[in-house]
Amino acid sequence: MEILQVVVIGLVLGGVYALMASGLTLVFGVMKIINLAHPIFIIIGAYIAYWLFRLYGLDPILSMPIAMIGLFCLGIAVYKLILEREAGSARYAEMTVLLTFAVAMTFDGLLGFMFTSSQRITSPSYATDAILLGNLFLPKGQFYAGIISVSLIIVLWAFLRYSRLGYAIRATTQNRDAAQLVGVNVALVSTLTFGIGIALAGASGALISFVFSFFPSRHWEWIAMLMSLIVLGGMGKLLGAVVGAFLLAVVAALVSTYIGATWSTLTFFLALFLILLVRPQGLFGEKME
Amino acid sequence: MPSLLEARGVVAGYGRGPDILTGVNLTVASGQVQCIIGPNGAGKSTLLKVISGLLPARQGHITFNGKSIENLRPDQVLRHGICLVPQEGALFPDMSVRENLRMGGYIIDDKTELHKRIDEVLEMFPILKERSSQRAKSLSGGEQRMLALSRTLVVRPEIVMLDEPSLGLAPRIVRQMFEIIHLLRDRGLTIIVVEQNAIMGLKNANWGCVLDLGKNLFDGPARDILDDPRIRELYLGKKSQVA
Repeated sequence: MEILQVVVIGLVLGGVYALMASGLTLVFGVMKIINLAHPIFIIIGAYIAYWLFRLYGLDPILSMPIAMIGLFCLGIAVYKLILEREAGSARYAEMTVLLTFAVAMTFDGLLGFMFTSSQRITSPSYATDAILLGNLFLPKGQFYAGIISVSLIIVLWAFLRYSRLGYAIRATTQNRDAAQLVGVNVALVSTLTFGIGIALAGASGALISFVFSFFPSRHWEWIAMLMSLIVLGGMGKLLGAVVGAFLLAVVAALVSTYIGATWSTLTFFLALFLILLVRPQGLFGEKME
Repeated sequence: MPSLLEARGVVAGYGRGPDILTGVNLTVASGQVQCIIGPNGAGKSTLLKVISGLLPARQGHITFNGKSIENLRPDQVLRHGICLVPQEGALFPDMSVRENLRMGGYIIDDKTELHKRIDEVLEMFPILKERSSQRAKSLSGGEQRMLALSRTLVVRPEIVMLDEPSLGLAPRIVRQMFEIIHLLRDRGLTIIVVEQNAIMGLKNANWGCVLDLGKNLFDGPARDILDDPRIRELYLGKKSQVA
């Protein structure tokens, strides 16, 4: 029974990880940007939820749309002011890694200056409550965060699958030149995709604000974990990120229970090394030429 | 015959690199098949990229129906009615045949009209209709090329530019491809073909243009180019037999 309990907790957390990684993989898929600043945007989303809860008592789940809108605007601003000018340069990929690293450092410093490095967590009533399903124990906070995360990913999938902008995003991901030739304004699509990716970071930030404690520099820990998830699934593949997230979250939960909590973080790094050695294109990626 | 598309003194190149086109002139008449030939590196594909807006012109003018179109974005050029089918990688590999056609009509806002046009195109290409739910990457090379061409028809363009339509295809499929090109010309479409297989391209064209080192050396009726002994020696192979 214990193993089932661990797997269920792993699956619930997997949903949250999947949402955290979805924006990162979406941005990489369309724009080939390895956004090292993605987790700091998650932290910003978490701070928005934290302060709205602390100052106005607003439930972090309800503050999620506010975090998404705020982060969407911030994402667009960062893209327009910092990243777009490099579009078309021969060293675009390398430059964006450096630039997003600088963005992460800058926001890390700003958040540290504004809110100190104290650990924070929002504490709505359900965060300390649990659901009992027979012998299974489900922490309500994690359960809600997991369910909302999965719902948001389904909405994102439906948006990409059926909407006009979704078609344009998928087309740009698969073949940028061909997308231009059929009339897609790829510059606009790239800007909007970056905004959507960062809005998803904002949503996951609001949700993790009552699941994990956070502080400004925690994003360094998360970037390694998120990179493992999206590399495992196949860079730029949404389904890959989701499968990678569930898989690694369950394995990490099992490692944490049966080997030791300190070893669970290592799961992500080991997975990253292994997948790069054995199948560098990831589970759902195309074989590289 | 009135010209539909005109390029005058077009100079272009990639990034900060040297000029690939060094002053190309091109006149394309309405309702004709125009074939551009020339050796590798002559700038044939580059010229199509400049016309379609994928690559900016450093100098020169391009007009379509009398309106200037140089240095417009590709989506703006498309809205004027000019489509490019690139040499390779024209499709969205993970989308189905129908989704690729839907992307072909991306600029059409009216959904009913869009689906009507997709159905029309599928009627023209029964093999694609059969495979409409198959992913583009699972099609054969010839079918993929057919899909890339048919996708442009969804927007009912005035000019379709085909970059090496015969590349890598079996002779039977190449013949089919040129039959389709003739069919489209007979329906009033203007077609520009860049073709490495110069004899095949010129035999199927009304007008020809020989490019070399980024400039056009000769323009004229395709038959005249095929019959010109100097051009035959330089660009069509010395002993080429033209039927």
